[in-house]
Amino acid sequence: MRLLLTEDDAELAKSLIERFREQGYEVVHVGDGIAGLREATCHDFDAIIVDRMLPGMDGLELVKAVRLRKATPIIYLTTMSGIDDRVRGLEAGGDDYLIKPFAFEELLARIRVMTRRQAPGAARLFAGSIEMDLVLRTVTRRGQPVELLPQEFRLLEYLVRNVDRAVTRKMLLENVWDIHFDPHTSVVESHISRLRARLNANGGSDAIQTVRGTGYRLLAAN
Amino acid sequence: MPQIRIFKAESFRLAALFAVAFLTLTAALIGTVLWIVDGTGREALMAANESDISTVMNGLRAEGLDEAIEVVQQRLGTPASGPTLRPRFAPEMYMVIEDTRGKVLAGNLPFVQCADRPQRLLGRCATLTATATLYVGRDTAAMDVTRQRILHAFGWVALGTCAFSILGGLLLGRRFMAQVDAITQTCERVIAGQLNERIPLRGRGDEWDRLARAINEMLDRISALLENLQQVSSDVAHDLRTPLTRLRNRLETAREKSTGIADYSAAISHALEDTDQLLSMFSALLRISQIEAGTRVRTFAPVALGVLLERMYQLFVPVAEDCGRHLSREFKTALAIRGDEELLTQLFSNLIENALRHTPAGTKIRLELVAANEEIVASVIDDGPGVAPEDYDRVTRRFYRGSSSRTAEGHGLGLSLVAAIAQLHGARLVLTGAQPGLCVGVVFPKPS
Repeated sequence: MRLLLTEDDAELAKSLIERFREQGYEVVHVGDGIAGLREATCHDFDAIIVDRMLPGMDGLELVKAVRLRKATPIIYLTTMSGIDDRVRGLEAGGDDYLIKPFAFEELLARIRVMTRRQAPGAARLFAGSIEMDLVLRTVTRRGQPVELLPQEFRLLEYLVRNVDRAVTRKMLLENVWDIHFDPHTSVVESHISRLRARLNANGGSDAIQTVRGTGYRLLAAN
Repeated sequence: MPQIRIFKAESFRLAALFAVAFLTLTAALIGTVLWIVDGTGREALMAANESDISTVMNGLRAEGLDEAIEVVQQRLGTPASGPTLRPRFAPEMYMVIEDTRGKVLAGNLPFVQCADRPQRLLGRCATLTATATLYVGRDTAAMDVTRQRILHAFGWVALGTCAFSILGGLLLGRRFMAQVDAITQTCERVIAGQLNERIPLRGRGDEWDRLARAINEMLDRISALLENLQQVSSDVAHDLRTPLTRLRNRLETAREKSTGIADYSAAISHALEDTDQLLSMFSALLRISQIEAGTRVRTFAPVALGVLLERMYQLFVPVAEDCGRHLSREFKTALAIRGDEELLTQLFSNLIENALRHTPAGTKIRLELVAANEEIVASVIDDGPGVAPEDYDRVTRRFYRGSSSRTAEGHGLGLSLVAAIAQLHGARLVLTGAQPGLCVGVVFPKPS
């Protein structure tokens, strides 16, 4: 996996490169927007990490320029936490938006989800013994029907689509409930525990693994 | 130097301009009047002349030239023979009959020469016989007198108008100046730092009062924002200091006292938690100030409150159950309002979380949506311990935490954020007792 990191904060870039390498990623780092555009258009990457405020070329402009030529997944990594900034960033062609300061696990989880092979709009999803019919809105585990509320269904769908990848609470809030702030109560935990209970109602191993300090992962081997 | 200032006043200039315009119009009017009066006067004189001529002609036709001469002499009141006496005053009417050699057969011209003033006559001649010509004329002095009188009358009126305009301009200017001075002085005092200064209202409800009220309201808004800013900075200084001090102590203790990896790791975890708490405080503050700036209104779209609240209900039911509270809902309207869905989501999420976190286990929490009169009221009602009515105002203040909730987690910005979002939507935040418990209502105006 090759990543392009455009980040002008040298110290942050250094620590990110180090941690990505530990995770087996190859990282190309550039410190300004123009070099970023050159790298992004001349070489192929699996994902691009873009700072919004870059010397040389604004992150937003960079993303727009890259989008004209490539479909590489792009995530913003930025201090611009303004209410409209995220919308503007995504409209410019970014795929995800993460506000600094952030936990590395959060960034890693988002990049892993971004770079997964996008399944074509299938009507049925499978993850080990779990089978989802997106048209009939039904779920079975080991052939046994599992009754789910609409929210639980959406939660499971997101987990199944990212099977074997850790997803963070923040990602679940954003993608399942469209919530872009930090609730102070354990909303996600409560929903996960209900989903777990329903999936495991007919016995069997726990399909949803809790990843400490990060979030959750639906295991393919369940 | 009020004398000089007054001439610079807009009102004075306007009055002067009007005076000039009025004078010009008056002059035009005088010209027209004089023209009409002159014409009428001439016509009258000529008509009198014609009447004299026709009298003489009648005499001539009846009995010949002698009778015509007789008529002329009668008209002039002079004896039938002898030279015409020079009268003391210039007569108004002149009649002469001349023969072809210029000999005067009868009449008072040209022997009458008046010394007291030059005379102008208006008249004409008429042929009586082959040898005699009649001249009839009238003095135009009366017309001149009328003209003089009219000119005089208009002159006085124009003078009066000028005086009135200038005086009025000065008075008006002075009144304007007094008002402008009052506003200017207040503004200068505000600039000098006396932010509580306001322009005194005169209570007449006129345009000055309207202006003064608008400026006062602007000053109120500015000073409220300023106060808010000062409040925030002092709150930030105070309330961020506490967790920062705690963080520092923790790190210091870790450096001094830790003996093994486990100790360090625990200290770091705690430090990370503290840091996260600080960061969430910062982002909440930033968000509040962004919302209060009000730029978000541009992207308002219809939001179905019932759908949004149902979503909130579904989101929070499990967590409410898990922490031993009971969440229910009662939606009596499906009206949509114009708003920002993301912010409204945060508003209700904060209210529900407040109810979850600041009440004891077993509390019943109800979400309610009703339409009343011209308003839509969305409420979060709990039957917990409630808040003392005297604290209603303070709970929406930044960083305020009720004494009983000191131990509960949170940065005390939840309700401030709620208040800011409500204000952005033109809604009021109404806190009432729910006997027992607390009812937090968000009162939206019904969309028109």
